[in-house]
Amino acid sequence: MANLNVDSVKQRTFDAIVIGSGMSGGWAAKEFTGKGLKTLVLERGRDVKHLKDYPTTNMLPYEFEHRGELTAEIREKNPVVSRCYAFREDAMHFFVKDTEQPYVQEKPFDWIRGQQVGGKSLLWARQTQRWSDFDFEGPARDGFAVDWPIRYKDLAPWYSYVEKFAGISGNNDGLAELPDGDFLPAFPLNSVEDHFKKQLKAHYGNRHVISARCAHLSKPNQIHLEQGRAQCQNRVLCQRGCPFGGYFSSNASTIPWAERTGLMTLLPHSVVQEVIYDEKAGKATGVRVINAQTKEATEYFAPVIFVNASAFSTNQILLNSTSSRFPNGLGNDSGLLGKYVAFHNYRARITAEYEGFQEYATDGRNPAGGGYIPRFRNLHKQETDFLRGYAAGFRADRSKNSDTSGFGADLKNQLLNPSWGIWKVGSHMMGETIPKAESQLSLSKFKKDAWGIPLLNINLDYDANDDKMVADYHAQMEEMFTKAGFTNIQKTDSHQAPGLDIHEMGGVRMGHDPKTSLLNKYNQLHACPNVYVTDGACMTSTSTQNPSLTYMALTARAVDHAVSEMKKQNI
Amino acid sequence: MNRRTVVKGLLLFTGGLVLAPSCVMETSKASIRLKNLDISGEDEKLLGEVVETILPTTDTPGGRTLGLHRFTLKMVDDLRGEKDQKAFTDGLDAFKKLAKKELGSSFMEASPQKRQELIAAVNAGKAPQDVLAFYKLLKDHTITGYLNSELVMTKLRVYELVPGRYNPYFPVKTKQQS
Ligand SMILES: Cc1cc2nc3c(=O)[nH]c(=O)nc-3n(C[C@H](O)[C@H](O)[C@H](O)COP(=O)(O)OP(=O)(O)OC[C@H]3O[C@@H](n4cnc5c(N)ncnc54)[C@H](O)[C@@H]3O)c2cc1C
Ligand code: SF4
Repeated sequence: MANLNVDSVKQRTFDAIVIGSGMSGGWAAKEFTGKGLKTLVLERGRDVKHLKDYPTTNMLPYEFEHRGELTAEIREKNPVVSRCYAFREDAMHFFVKDTEQPYVQEKPFDWIRGQQVGGKSLLWARQTQRWSDFDFEGPARDGFAVDWPIRYKDLAPWYSYVEKFAGISGNNDGLAELPDGDFLPAFPLNSVEDHFKKQLKAHYGNRHVISARCAHLSKPNQIHLEQGRAQCQNRVLCQRGCPFGGYFSSNASTIPWAERTGLMTLLPHSVVQEVIYDEKAGKATGVRVINAQTKEATEYFAPVIFVNASAFSTNQILLNSTSSRFPNGLGNDSGLLGKYVAFHNYRARITAEYEGFQEYATDGRNPAGGGYIPRFRNLHKQETDFLRGYAAGFRADRSKNSDTSGFGADLKNQLLNPSWGIWKVGSHMMGETIPKAESQLSLSKFKKDAWGIPLLNINLDYDANDDKMVADYHAQMEEMFTKAGFTNIQKTDSHQAPGLDIHEMGGVRMGHDPKTSLLNKYNQLHACPNVYVTDGACMTSTSTQNPSLTYMALTARAVDHAVSEMKKQNI
Repeated sequence: MNRRTVVKGLLLFTGGLVLAPSCVMETSKASIRLKNLDISGEDEKLLGEVVETILPTTDTPGGRTLGLHRFTLKMVDDLRGEKDQKAFTDGLDAFKKLAKKELGSSFMEASPQKRQELIAAVNAGKAPQDVLAFYKLLKDHTITGYLNSELVMTKLRVYELVPGRYNPYFPVKTKQQS
């Protein structure tokens, strides 16, 4: 340790420490500072200030050297991150490049990371749906993983709490499987999306297309204006950072809010190597940090620690936090730390065309990206030969096209005077995957990174359940597309590696029993209750919803719990 | 960035392209820095005439004025792999030979009429495979470069950075143009 001087220790002591400043860490920072706690936020990446550090945000397409595309050199050097659709010339500076932080793919896994203040909240596609009890009761009903220690009623008020502040647009659709919320006006469906919605209703009754719920200020409330954010202007260039603060990111919302309390100390370039456990005190006392640039080590202290480094990085930190009490990683009495990780199956897509609605197109852009089909398979009871089910995106687009077969003045004329094509429709699957003991993370025994942390070994894969689900999605969607009159139906299975869904979860799962889980119902480590994990690592199962809204709600709830426990001197 | 300044001489390459002084043009090197492609100043001029034939000057500027040949060179150099780069340079040589054979002179020396006839044939797929591969790369990048050019995006088919609206039921006339 660099300095044992008492004053120095005092200066490095806070009321709370939050590891990571992304989607979930930003919420922890906001909640702690909002409750009056002096909070240290440790972020391994650089600072990214709202507006100021969005270098590409107002660039026009022709101002990009390669008009948005990636060079062959970048693709060759970064095969993993290049597979992410959002890794393009306009936002590549917000992604971790393959060589910057290696990991071990025991099986192929595309680990997509955004490491800077704001984490991946700058880059996300902003899709936000609540879970229902059909999701929380999944493991118990279907006999996999362990029972979730919480139910919808535990999280419902916290969903409302985060929705109101973040600003989520959507309709109250009255569906038990996708609970309503506190929404700003939805971005409406277009003619063909509406058509599909009506067709499903007529042919199936229990299959729905709704306006995708998303973290955009369709109509800001006072609380959003107070954050310095304004109405979304339909640019749909969000991954660059939004000059209006039109979508929710930590950078536009929670971090500046926490900053304004004067209680937050945000330290970028601070790589947390491990959480320090004090054997005598019987609790965690702080964290050990390596300066990303100087490699110098410093320790920081606080009575409560939130680990929000993103699902797999959180596993890595906890696995690396060893002591004689916890030789296999902090809180790992059960031996399950790093196990039962899972993800979302995004392999399947289907596209088609529609000859109808020639009298309509769309004008402007839809930040929500179209419609969302909540899970309908195996919802009320088991009805297929695979477990669980899938949600799906659905969108219809009509664009103007030019015939480019000619050349000369004709070609120029075609390019400058395009005509409306027919509607194209498309859907992608978001399938639940089953967490299994053999799907696991561990630390490399041989290789360390530049900051002295053992590399993460990643070992997870699809199984027969996932293959059956892909087949069922294709069959069901094809039937639905056909009933809706769509033609030229094309089904694809990308066979992409897990990871590209960017919804990796688990490894530090919640549960009732310390023997079979790591975290209790308030996200505290059973065996070290002053450490909380509220990012994707805590997830007992994955269900089908885009997960970030749930991480945010769990985080706000856990901070509330932590602060009340501190008041009661329980931690 | 001062993007609102009007297109000076309609050169498109505000982004990243260093245009060397004109004396360099007289030497055997292309006027832009290329990492992988070996292209002479002569080749560059020839490509300028080909893109001008693909997208000619009408009442608005054409491919050569817009620098779409240099744009193509840069994109093939930076975005494409070795295989496409070789196909491009080999195909360019084959194209030169084809021009000699079909036109009795180089493409540069031929009249606009003759140039058009040759490009018409190549465009219709009536040329050896290597020429077609070259032509496809050139035409594709020329079209992308054109549609993504400042001129087209600000004046001819205006791109909106900030639409500020979404109309899901936008009425259009069937078979409507633009
Ligand atoms: C292109 C894309 C689209 C997406 N679309 C959606 C969507 O539509 N809906 C949805 O719900 N989710 C979506 N996601 C996923 C979403 O971004 C993540 O679920 C969310 O950001 C996770 O929040 P987090 O706080 O766990 O991690 P992050 O937001 O990744 O933040 C973690 C932070 O911790 C820091 N950190 C890591 N290790 C350390 C360490 N050792 N020390 C200090 N700091 C550390 C990182 O640098 C990072 O800043 C998308 C992601 C991407 C990239
Ligand atoms: S869609 Fe909205 S939030 Fe996204 S960049 Fe545009 S204005 Fe900003």
